[in-house]
Amino acid sequence: MLRPGALMRGMWTTFKSMFEKPVTVMYPQVKRPVSKRFKGRHELKRYDNGLEKCIGCALCAAACPADAIFVEASENTDEQRYSPGERYASTYEINFLRCIYCGFCEDACPTEAIVLGDNYELSYTNRSEAIYTREMLLVPVHPSAAPTPQKVAPGTFDRPIPEMEDPD
Amino acid sequence: MSKVKGSRILLRHRDIPKLDKLDVYLEDGGFESFKKAVTKMKPDKVTEIVKDSGLRGRGGAGFPTGVKWSFIDANNWPHYVVANADESEPGTFKDREIMEQNPYQFFEGVMLSAYAIQANDAYIYLRGEFWDLAHELDKKIKKLEKSGYLGKKLFGTDYSLNLYTHLGAGAYICGEETALLESMEGKLGQPRLRPPFPPSFGLFGKPTVVNNVETLANVPLIIEKGAKWYRKFGTERSPGTKVFSLSGNVNKPGNYELPLASTFRELIFKHGGGIPDGHAIKAIMAAGASSSLIVANDEALDTPMDYESVQNVGGMLGSASVIVIDETVDISWLVNKTVHFFKHESCGKCTPCREGVFWMSHLTERIDNGSGSREDIVLLQDVANNIQGKCLCALGDFSTQAVVTGIERFPEDFKAKVSPNQAARIKINE
Amino acid sequence: MSELVKNEAAQNMVTLTIDDHTMSVPEGTLVVDAARSIGLDIPVFCYHPKMEPVGMCRMCLVEIGTPMRDRTTSEPILEDDGSPKIQFFPNLMTGCTFRASEGMVVRGYTEKVTAARKEVLEFLLTSHPLDCPTCDKGGECPLQNLTMQFGDGESRFIYDEKMHSAKHVALGDLIFLDRERCIQCARCTRFQDEIVDDQVIGFSNRGRALEIVTFSDPGFDSYWSGNTTDICPVGALTTADFRFGARPWEMNASASICNHCAVGCNLTFNTRREVKSGGEKIIKRVMPRQNEAVNEIWICDKGRFAYHFTASDQRLNQPLIRKDGKLVPSSWELALDLVTSRFKNAGENLVTLAGGRLSNEDLFNLAELSAHLGGDALLYSDMAGGDLVSRLGVGEGTNFSDMGPETAILVVACNLEEEAPLWWLRIKQAAERGAKVIVANPRKTKLDRSAIHNLRYEYGQEAGLVTALLSAISPKQPKSPAFVNKLAKDKEVKAAAKALSEAENTVILFGSEGTSYAASAALAQACANLLIASGHIGRPNNGLIGVWDKGNAQGAWDMGLRPSEDLDAALKTSQAVYISAADPAGDSKQYASALKKADFVVVQELYMTATAELADVVLPAQAFTEREGTYTSGERRVQRFYPAVPSLPDLLPDFGITAEIAGRLGLELEKTAPASVMLQIAEVVPDYAELTYQKLAKVEKQFPLIGREDVYYGGTSYQNSQGLGVQLKPAAQNGDSPVLVITELPEVKLSGEELLAVPVTRLLDLGNTVTPSEVLVTRLAKPHVALHPQDAEKLGVEWGSKVKLILNGSTQTVLVEFDNSMPHGVVLVPRSLGIPIISPTPATIKVL
Repeated sequence: MLRPGALMRGMWTTFKSMFEKPVTVMYPQVKRPVSKRFKGRHELKRYDNGLEKCIGCALCAAACPADAIFVEASENTDEQRYSPGERYASTYEINFLRCIYCGFCEDACPTEAIVLGDNYELSYTNRSEAIYTREMLLVPVHPSAAPTPQKVAPGTFDRPIPEMEDPD
Repeated sequence: MSKVKGSRILLRHRDIPKLDKLDVYLEDGGFESFKKAVTKMKPDKVTEIVKDSGLRGRGGAGFPTGVKWSFIDANNWPHYVVANADESEPGTFKDREIMEQNPYQFFEGVMLSAYAIQANDAYIYLRGEFWDLAHELDKKIKKLEKSGYLGKKLFGTDYSLNLYTHLGAGAYICGEETALLESMEGKLGQPRLRPPFPPSFGLFGKPTVVNNVETLANVPLIIEKGAKWYRKFGTERSPGTKVFSLSGNVNKPGNYELPLASTFRELIFKHGGGIPDGHAIKAIMAAGASSSLIVANDEALDTPMDYESVQNVGGMLGSASVIVIDETVDISWLVNKTVHFFKHESCGKCTPCREGVFWMSHLTERIDNGSGSREDIVLLQDVANNIQGKCLCALGDFSTQAVVTGIERFPEDFKAKVSPNQAARIKINE
Repeated sequence: MSELVKNEAAQNMVTLTIDDHTMSVPEGTLVVDAARSIGLDIPVFCYHPKMEPVGMCRMCLVEIGTPMRDRTTSEPILEDDGSPKIQFFPNLMTGCTFRASEGMVVRGYTEKVTAARKEVLEFLLTSHPLDCPTCDKGGECPLQNLTMQFGDGESRFIYDEKMHSAKHVALGDLIFLDRERCIQCARCTRFQDEIVDDQVIGFSNRGRALEIVTFSDPGFDSYWSGNTTDICPVGALTTADFRFGARPWEMNASASICNHCAVGCNLTFNTRREVKSGGEKIIKRVMPRQNEAVNEIWICDKGRFAYHFTASDQRLNQPLIRKDGKLVPSSWELALDLVTSRFKNAGENLVTLAGGRLSNEDLFNLAELSAHLGGDALLYSDMAGGDLVSRLGVGEGTNFSDMGPETAILVVACNLEEEAPLWWLRIKQAAERGAKVIVANPRKTKLDRSAIHNLRYEYGQEAGLVTALLSAISPKQPKSPAFVNKLAKDKEVKAAAKALSEAENTVILFGSEGTSYAASAALAQACANLLIASGHIGRPNNGLIGVWDKGNAQGAWDMGLRPSEDLDAALKTSQAVYISAADPAGDSKQYASALKKADFVVVQELYMTATAELADVVLPAQAFTEREGTYTSGERRVQRFYPAVPSLPDLLPDFGITAEIAGRLGLELEKTAPASVMLQIAEVVPDYAELTYQKLAKVEKQFPLIGREDVYYGGTSYQNSQGLGVQLKPAAQNGDSPVLVITELPEVKLSGEELLAVPVTRLLDLGNTVTPSEVLVTRLAKPHVALHPQDAEKLGVEWGSKVKLILNGSTQTVLVEFDNSMPHGVVLVPRSLGIPIISPTPATIKVL
């Protein structure tokens, strides 16, 4: 049964909204800021001195419910140092077709090396492109720091696992 | 007949000049007991007399010596005697005086015990720092060999005996009998698992009697004068005399041979001349660094020093190395010193001692240097308690005695050193 | 079977209760073992079921009580309810040193006990670096596991006060030590002292500074070093090979069998996908797999580290055909068709030559193909006697672990630790249990330490020595050469003969120290004669064992292949040669020239060997790690191995290639399923009747219990869930009664200035499957010869210097080592070091 009052009320809502500010933005020209805890594409972090935080322990791979992460470790030397500890990830791959952005890898990481970032603009034209390698995941080196591998004085880094800034 | 003046059985050289010379010792009736034993007595008889005398081990544990000898496994040969001259306990210096001044009486004791268990080889294990003493003893052993008291077919019997000295490499733990045996075998000086005990599985896996120097030095006179004579000194359960090594805050430190069950007061004030500068006595460590801290009140001072009574005031007689501590001493400093000694001397074989003492040393150091917190005292107490009763040998427990009793009986000394809140600890963390 | 069960008959059984579980164990069983035998856990670090307890780590502290007895009547005191009153020790006791007694009660989970575990763990962790994320042991670490189970989540120890020690100490080329992680449990040092008698590592210093050091040069100089990483309860000892290789949980496990020697150690290959292998699985490490009748839970370093050949980039990956004098790639079709047509032409002039590292299935198909054409199927080996082993071999149920005072073991012409390390270990342990070990060898070997009689003879007299033993037992022997009669009068020989004949059980192992094929044949027959004469055949723990140079040589004999007495002639006169897994051209120039004379040579191989270089057709085969099959050990135990990694593309297993050729020749052979080949073997080879892959895969409970969950107890050795294998019955056990066969004894004569060069065996040689292991390279023997120091002095040769060795007309520069236990006038030439030697030969040494 038609109720003219209800119809009018609906039309009024439509009419009113014509003068409201739209909620959508002109993506990709305009990008909406993501929330603080947004989980986007991963990044492999560096220390201030440019060394990589990742020690290649593969706990992220172990924690990953989608089996999206693959890590191979190698040994640092003072001639070729990637990370402060004894070992670093010589291979680090994330398959973003598998990744479910749960953040378990971030929780598992003992050195806060793997962090889910803000980037959500992921698109691929073939499957192999979805596999991000270590080089793609590593954040750029700060201009004041040296890129890895670095040559350091022997004995500079003698801790198995580097000290953390905020262990908690 | 050997001369005995008063209650001096072991330190007879103080009454008989030049007793360290073989002719003087022989003139005094030396080696008569040994000769008598070898020529006229059955080995068991020697053990029997020592058992009857009630002589207890003077190394610290106080185990009846004759009983130990009788445990020797008669189905496994050869047998060995090892004299434990690894006198390493801080505050203990009695064996050294006996070996330096009255060596032949000690030798005779070793030889008698060797005869009692029918050992043909006897060893004297000396701490590494006694190298000069070992040299002197070697010369004297040579003399005995020349005089026919050592060597093959003694006194025309079938019994042969050789005596050797062996120097350690400077480890406190090698005073523990099984670690001593390991060290003698050329291995790392670490205690063995017990059982089996040395009388069944000792040096090179053979039945071995390990006795302290002082214990053995008692034996010649016991054999000569009999068990009954020996029992005139001391008490029923702790017969005989004992050399008390007195050190610390006393006017006259040194060795004093007194009958067992003499009181602390008698030792410290009558013989030791009291506390210097008129200070008050605060605590007593009755058995060197490995002893608990006894609060030196009247009750404690009047306690007879025998194996049983000292336990009543929360201590152990041990090797009777009485360290006197007066009121000027800060107990937390003393505990720190003691723990550092044990940290240096832990052999590292078992976990609680190796790791626990290392940990305690950090805590006592922190408390002593004033950067500790009240929490650290609680933690220290807890760590010490966790070590107790879990170690392979006694050293682990020894290391905690001063800590536990120090905190329990002198809490003010610790509380005064630490800051009342936990801020100090956080500061260290940064 | 289990030591616990084994002792049941011999010993009094006692009943004890552990945490409400009542069990019956032999008197004297350690409390931890008793608990473990029914699957209960009393955690330990320093205790290991294969070693004497030391009670160092204090992790196994438990409450132990014994029934109270009245002091005067020694009657048990009873509680009100009639149960015996239990008196508990005031202190916690170490379960690893306390032995079970009647009525004992053990409490492993009281408040006091769990508190003690927590406290001991806390102590251990105060000095531990807590670097589990980067530690190779992380994931299979007893300290990690037990901390998770019993430890506290919070540390009360200030991290900054931790003691720091060296983290990357190379104890040797193979083993790294992390001194921070070490918990001073002494498992490694005790393993080296008690189990393998190589006292090359030990503790130095004391207290918190107690640390492991190596005394040897080169460091950690032992063939057994890898085992210490298995039993290390933390990540203190890790292998150089696996350093940062993978996390343990990422790897798959595949059961396999080691084919480097005749022992047949059970292995597990750990595999994982790698970037460098293009995402394919590769072998990351080799672990021992428990088989208490073969290798217990140990393997030697050769077995552990010489596995890299599978992933070597030198592997052949496509068939090659010789065109215009060059080997060029070809298709399988072309290559196989060519081979087929030439084989057809050759007919009975086809010579098939197979190496002892092939599986039974491969060898069976080769033998079938050869028989189809009427050719000869030859085994490439300098050792004889496999037929005797199949008749007089050790009886079914033989286990070195069961041997004790009632057993005599004769090891003749064999440097056992070099030729078959695990047998050395097991015979050494048998000697410790009282077995009478007799070693007969021209020079000193490590087994001499365990022997009650060491018999020396001149090289070439090995069969004579055994004959001398025989004539000492039964004097009515036919006339022997003078040297035998002289040996028979020797006091030691007489005493040894007495021990052998009087023993209830006797096992004889014969090796290849200084033997040619002819000498080996005489030796094997002499050993067989001795066993027959003394009646030590056809029963468990009795019989003959061949210490073969290859893993499946016994299988080759069983499949009907035989070494040729004159391989040179056989090759020369053939029309076609089909060589598989053998490199005769690499071993001898004589064979190389013989092969050059052969009309048509097909080589089926993994690598481009010297023999393959001479081939007309090269067929690439799958490695044994890429496929399934079975091996037969020297003790005639048939064991299965499983594929660990995927095959290189387009490769076939050896039996498959043979079957392809056979198919083209009109003979149907199984080409895909090795299990089906085994069914055929079972039909054709009587000893293998009724063998199936299912039977080979059977397992039973073994002691000590080893598993993935309780690494704290036995280490990281793998539990055997894929098969213990089947030991075959020798003919003698099936009623065959053999008779003595007296053969002529060969003797070697030398003239003038010459030395006698004799072939001997080194474990870490330069074999084709060994050299691809980079980690082993520094440990491998260099081309060298050994001289008696006095001979060397005469020649003016110094230790370690280079000399010219003139042997069989060819000259080679080699290093010189000394051995003062060897006879004069002899130069020892190790096999597989690139110095061609196949039998004792006169040689000259010239100083450079």
